[in-house]
Order: sequence, then C-alpha cells, then structure tokens
Amino acid sequence: MTFIVGVLALAAVVCAAMALRAGKALVSALWLAGTSALVAFMLYLMGAHEIAVVELSVGAGLVTILFVFAISVAGDEALDVRTVIPRPLAIGLVIAAGLLLGWFTVAQPMAGLIQPIAAPVAAPLADVLWNQRGLDVLVQIVLIFGGVLGVIGLLADSAEKPDVKGPEAGVRDQTAEEVQL
Amino acid sequence: MTWTPLTLVLIGVICLLGVGFYGLLISRNLIKIIVALQILGKAALIAFVMAGNVNGQTGQGQALAMTIIVADTIVAVVGLALAVQVRRRFGTMDIKALSNLKG
Amino acid sequence: MTSSVLVALTIGLPWLGALCISFGVRDRSERAQHALAILFAVTSGLAALALLPTAANATILRIPVGGVFGDFTFNPDGLGVFLASVATVVGSLAVIFSVDYMRGEKQLGRYYALVLLFIGAMAGLALTGSILLLFIFWEITALCSYALISFYNDDPKAVAGGIKALIMTQIGGVGLLVGALIVYAYLGGYDISLLIEKANTLPPGVLNVLAFGFLIAAAAKSAQFPFQTWLPDAMEAPTPVSALIHAATMVNAGVYLLARFYPAFAPVPGWTMAVMIVGMLSALLTAIMALVATDLKRVLAYSTVSQLGYMVYAVGAGSILASQFHLLSHAVFKALLFLGAGAVIHAIGTRDLRKMGGLGRQMPLIRTTFIIGALALVGIPILNGFWSKEMVLEAGLSGGPAWIWIVMLIGAGLTALYTFRVVWMVFFGAPRGDDNHGATHAHDATHAMRFALVVLAVGALTTWLLIGPFSGLIASSFGAVAAGQPHELSLTEMIAEVVTAPATGIALIVIALAIGAAWWRRDKLTALGNRLGWLSRMATDSFGFEWINRTIVRGTQAIAGGLRVTQTGALNWNILGIVGGLIVVLAILAMGVAR
Repeated sequence: MTFIVGVLALAAVVCAAMALRAGKALVSALWLAGTSALVAFMLYLMGAHEIAVVELSVGAGLVTILFVFAISVAGDEALDVRTVIPRPLAIGLVIAAGLLLGWFTVAQPMAGLIQPIAAPVAAPLADVLWNQRGLDVLVQIVLIFGGVLGVIGLLADSAEKPDVKGPEAGVRDQTAEEVQL
Repeated sequence: MTWTPLTLVLIGVICLLGVGFYGLLISRNLIKIIVALQILGKAALIAFVMAGNVNGQTGQGQALAMTIIVADTIVAVVGLALAVQVRRRFGTMDIKALSNLKG
Repeated sequence: MTSSVLVALTIGLPWLGALCISFGVRDRSERAQHALAILFAVTSGLAALALLPTAANATILRIPVGGVFGDFTFNPDGLGVFLASVATVVGSLAVIFSVDYMRGEKQLGRYYALVLLFIGAMAGLALTGSILLLFIFWEITALCSYALISFYNDDPKAVAGGIKALIMTQIGGVGLLVGALIVYAYLGGYDISLLIEKANTLPPGVLNVLAFGFLIAAAAKSAQFPFQTWLPDAMEAPTPVSALIHAATMVNAGVYLLARFYPAFAPVPGWTMAVMIVGMLSALLTAIMALVATDLKRVLAYSTVSQLGYMVYAVGAGSILASQFHLLSHAVFKALLFLGAGAVIHAIGTRDLRKMGGLGRQMPLIRTTFIIGALALVGIPILNGFWSKEMVLEAGLSGGPAWIWIVMLIGAGLTALYTFRVVWMVFFGAPRGDDNHGATHAHDATHAMRFALVVLAVGALTTWLLIGPFSGLIASSFGAVAAGQPHELSLTEMIAEVVTAPATGIALIVIALAIGAAWWRRDKLTALGNRLGWLSRMATDSFGFEWINRTIVRGTQAIAGGLRVTQTGALNWNILGIVGGLIVVLAILAMGVAR
C-alpha cells in the first residue's frame, strides 16, 4: 500500500513536470491528463471513490478535450525560449517554499496528525454534500452558470468583431519583442 | 518518522505545488499557464481529501474536493476561452508581449 | 420561519432587482428599468414593514459558513427592523422620485442597480447579528455611496467628492474590522449579543480601544466631527441619492452603531462624555456653516451633519430612544427637504441659492411640502421634529452637563435661522435668476415627484404619533442588559413629558427668537455670507478641520500611487511576489513554532 501510493505520487509529480517541460501545448495537455488520471487513482486509494470518478471524467476527460479543442482553434506556439524570471531564482524560491512547507507538515510534531484515525466518521459524501454543505452546492451551480456565461460572452464577442490584426501583426509584435530583448 | 502512506501523499502534494508554482514563474505561454494552474488545483484536491481522512471527516473533505474540481474546471474553461480570444485578437499567446501591448 | 423568509426578502429583493436591471434589461428599455426598480424597492419595503410586528431579540436566520467566520446570523430586533424599514421605505420613495428626476439620463441601469444594491445592503446592515457581516454590509454601503456620488463621472468635482467620501468612510470601516477581530480574538465569536453580554469580561484596555475605535468609525460614517467635511462634498450625487444615502440612511449607520453597542461601552470611563462632545461640536459647527453656505444642497448637507450631531449627543446622554426617535423624524423630514430641493433644482437647473428666489408662486406644491419639512427641522410644535428634538434636549439635560445642553440650545436657534434663510431665499423675495436658469422656466413637480413629496410631508406631520409602538420596539431590543435602557412610552405620556418639561419652553423661546430675528432682517439674509466675512471664510474651511480630511485623502492617494509600482501586470513577477510572500509567512510561522 505504502509502496503503491509512493509510486503513484512520484509518477504524478513526474507527469506534471513533463507537462511543463513539453515543447508543444498539445503534448503538455496530454501529460496533464496523465497527471489527472494518476491523481484520480490516488484519490481512489485514499477512499474517495466518488471524487476519484469525477476527477477521472472531468479532470482527465473533459478538461483535456477542452485543451485539445482550444489548441486546435488557437494554434500552437512554442515560446519558452527565454523566461522573464531567471530559472535559478525560480527554482530556488520554489525549493525554499517547498522545504519550509515540508518541514512544517512532515517533520514537525504536527506530523503526528498525519496518521489515519482508526475509525473515521462514516458520513457518506452525498449526505455531507446535500445536507451540511448545501451552500457550497449552490455556489458551485452559480460558478458553473457564471463560467458558461463568461465563455459564451467571450466567444460571441469574436463573432461580431473580426480580427483587428492579422496573425502577421502578431509575428511583427514578437519580432519587435525579440529585438527588444 | 514512519513512512505512512499519508506522509508520502503529503510529500507528493508539496512537490505538485512546487511544480505548479515553478510553471507559473517560468511560463510565458498562456496555455502553459493554465496547465500550471491545473496542477496547483490537483495538489489542493489531494490535500483536501487527505485532510478529511486525517480528521476522520471523510465526507467533509470530499465535499470540498468536489467544489475544487468544479472551480478548477471553470478556471480552465474560462481561461482557455480567454486564450483563444487573445490569440485571435493579438496573434500571440506570449504574456510578456501581451503586457507590453497595454490595451 | 416566516420572519426568516421576510428577512431574506428584505435584503435579497433589492439585490435581485439590481441583478435584473444590470444584466436583464440593461439600457434597452427605460420604462422597464423604472418599473423594475420600483417593483423591487417597494416589495422590499413591504417585507421590511411586515417584519415590524415580529421583531424579537433572537437570531432567526443562521447561515453556517464554517468555523472561520462564525455563522452569518440575522437578528431582527426592534432597533434593526426599524432602521431596515426606514432604509427600504425611504428607498422606495427615492426610487419613485427618480422616475421623474432621472428621466432620460444616460446609464440609468447603473444608477438603479447601485441604488437597489445600497437598499439591500443597508437593510442587511441593520438586520444582521454578526459584527463581521455588519462590516461587510457597511463596506457595501460605502461602495454604493462612492459610486453614486461619482455617478456623473465626467465631472471632476463629482469624482473627487466620491473618492473623498470613500476614503473617509473607509476609516470607519477599518475601525469596525479591527473591532470585529478584537472581539473574535477575545470572545471567540462575532455575535453582537456576545459582545454586549460579555463586554465587562474584556480587559479594560481592550474595551477602551474598542469603544473609542467604534466611536471613530461611527464619526467617520456619520460625517461627525472631525470628519464632517466629506458629506457636503458628496452633494454632487443625483439628488434622490443625496436624500436616500446622505440624509436618511447610510449616514445614520454611525448613530445606529453607537446605539447598538451603547450597553457594552457605556461603562467605559469618558466614553459617553466623548460621544456627547463629538455630537455637540458637529451640531454647532455645521449649523454655522449652513448659515453661510450658498449652495442649496450643501446647506441641507450641513444641516444633516448638525442633526446627526443631535442624535449622537442623545446616545451619549444615555437616551437611545430619543436618539432613534430623532433619527426617524430626521429621516422623514430630511428626505422630504432633499427631494423638495431636488424638484427645485430639476426645475430651474441650478443649485445656487443666490440665483433663486420667488419660486413659491410657480411651484406651490413643492413650496408647501418644503416648508412642512423646514418647520419639522426647526422643531415647530406638532411636527415630528419638534417632539424628537425636545426629547433629545430633555435627555441631554438629564443625562449630561448643562453647558453642553446650552450649546445644543444655541444650535437649535441656529437651525431655525438657517432654515428660515433657505426657505426665504428659495421661495420668497424677488426672483434673482438670470436668463439661463431663470425662475421663469420653473414648473411644479410632476406626478412621481408629487407622490414622493406628499407621502413624506404626511410622514413629517404624523410619525410622532407612532411613539407608543416605536418605543416598544426600541425597548424590546435592549433587554435588561443596559442600565438606563429605553422604556416604553405611550403617546400621552410623551406629550405630557415634553409639554411639562421646562426645557421645551426654553427651546421654543430660543427658536422663536431666532425666527423673529431672521424675519426682522430678512432682506439682509442673502448677503449674510458677505457680512460675516471672517466667519464665512472659517466656515467654508470647516474651521480648519478640512485639512485633517484633506491630509487623510491625499495621504491615502499618495500611498496608493506609490504602491502602483508593484502592479506590473507581468504575471510571472506577480507570482514571484506570491511565492515570496508564502516563504515570508512560513518563515515567520517557523520561528514561532521553533521557539
């Protein structure tokens, strides 16, 4: 059990890193789907069966489709040539934050909490979701509606106004950018 | 310190957070930034489910995880729509170029 | 159960209306906007009125939101329901008035959405039982006030006035937030009732900070000394907004705050005295300013600050009943005066008193209702202002030192003087308008305006008859907690109390003398500002307190300008800031844990 979870966590992190390393956006989206699937498996092992299913179908399925769709509409663009922030600085900061967090949660006496309690209160998800956290469900519905409205607004806007600048303008911008650099 | 499964999960969460933040720090491509946001969301998702298990309130943790999935998906949807739109308007998805455009 | 639905309706309906107007109709149909705004405002007013009989000092609506913020509770006791009713009813009338006043304006949707958002937030502020939620509603009202003052956002004066009002009321908001956090830290909850019950268990120093912090918060919100200068600058707002927000409701929030927490803070040494002095200075200084101002709406704004000073004074003197009763009277007659002034301004197109005069003949209805409001403001018997002002003065005499009482009496005389001056300069005497804004174009009020004016005028004549149930309401919201808690007072008792008190006679004599003096020199009133040159200069400068306000506003703007450097708009750098902040927070925490 320990071994499987450890391997899964490691694999998820590697997938995530690959998603960021990938040169093409499409590859990146596929690695993200892999991360999502591994996370879903971890959740399943942790006893969150319903959430695992939702994560697998929404996170690995729907979101990936959306990514592929968006990339096919917008086109790909390999960019990460030169970063705004120097890479060593970014790596240093992230490692510092990670070590601090790790020290807090794993190495501290607080880590004593990181033991599963013998008999968890068996409140089924549906019960909690509908009875205790009804407000959350309401907010989720509002969120979904807001998101849909936002997307409709964004995409409808483009139908009315055709491209102000062609793709060439973009290329020009980019070259100007490179010159500036 | 014993290596319980939950400790390993916790380390995994921290690593995922690190990877996500690194992506946000480094990336200049709008799509990559959304990918990094998704990775951060996954970390939070696992953390909530784990916290629910640790406190013995599995239902609460999972209900909150549900909210995170929904919110995260909305972020991805709206973000991608925005990226498509930005690409159509300005012909680029480089955030540095975009912030230099100023309107 | 029904009352919890009513609470939700009172707050929710205006907000729903705001949503419908801003997203549903937008600016497509002006008629639909007017109709929707009236519909939602009036139904919310009805819901608030329906709450009145069921007012009880108990939590009836509790929304659990997890452990961090405490539950969001709504606790519609007498005091709260009363203020919510004032907000929604005066709000409805202001919306009805707007139908005529704002006809044909651009961006009507924005106007109505903000007004409705304000009405809902004000009702929420009054009805909530949680200090944190009180703070949130408090801030929403401040935001609406700002956005509506700057409604004509191509006018730099309007924008400056809005910013000033926003910054000054934020001072109050920050005080309130700090207060809420202190209460949470020491008592473990955000409930107002918790603070009132357990105030004496707090360490004295903490209670002092809370009491004086809330006093500053209330003074900033109610434009009391030394923050009195934002309200006159807020007069760039459309007049119905001035009537609603800057006369009848939002500025009362400070008085409400003081009254609400009076039982908790009254034992703090020096607090009641400080409250009385703040009220006295506001009442006196702004009355003098009103005497020399030449802008119709500014005169009314000064007068509002002055009357709010009376309410604050009454709270300090220990009579919450008198204070809230004056709040009711003032809300009615000042809304009436503002709407009347709005009708005049709408008709002749200027706010300058020196360009008015002799308008009474062209607009008889406006004249009559305005004079009713003016008489109530002065405190002439039978009108509601008389009874409540006498109660305030009486309470002051019995609960405070005599010298403050005498100053307040002088303030009452000055009130009579400036009110007479305004009425005279607007409606009587020879027409002074030039050709462009001449009195010749003047016309009487149109239907919607008429309706709002007449309802408020009838209110100014009659609301004092409600003292019986009103005192019951106020008394019920202060159980046995307060030492000098308000008692129920029937109508006959009140009449007997007021008529037999010697204070009444003295006050009436002062008022009569002032009016007599004004009548005697009525032709000189116009040039009063010139004749009292030094006083006028000091008054327009707010006796030097303007610089406090100006310094605060400029300081805030300078800080904001400096901080703009951090807003690069470059995502990567912003994330760097976030990660850096995370590291700093964790490091600080780690130092705490490691110790």
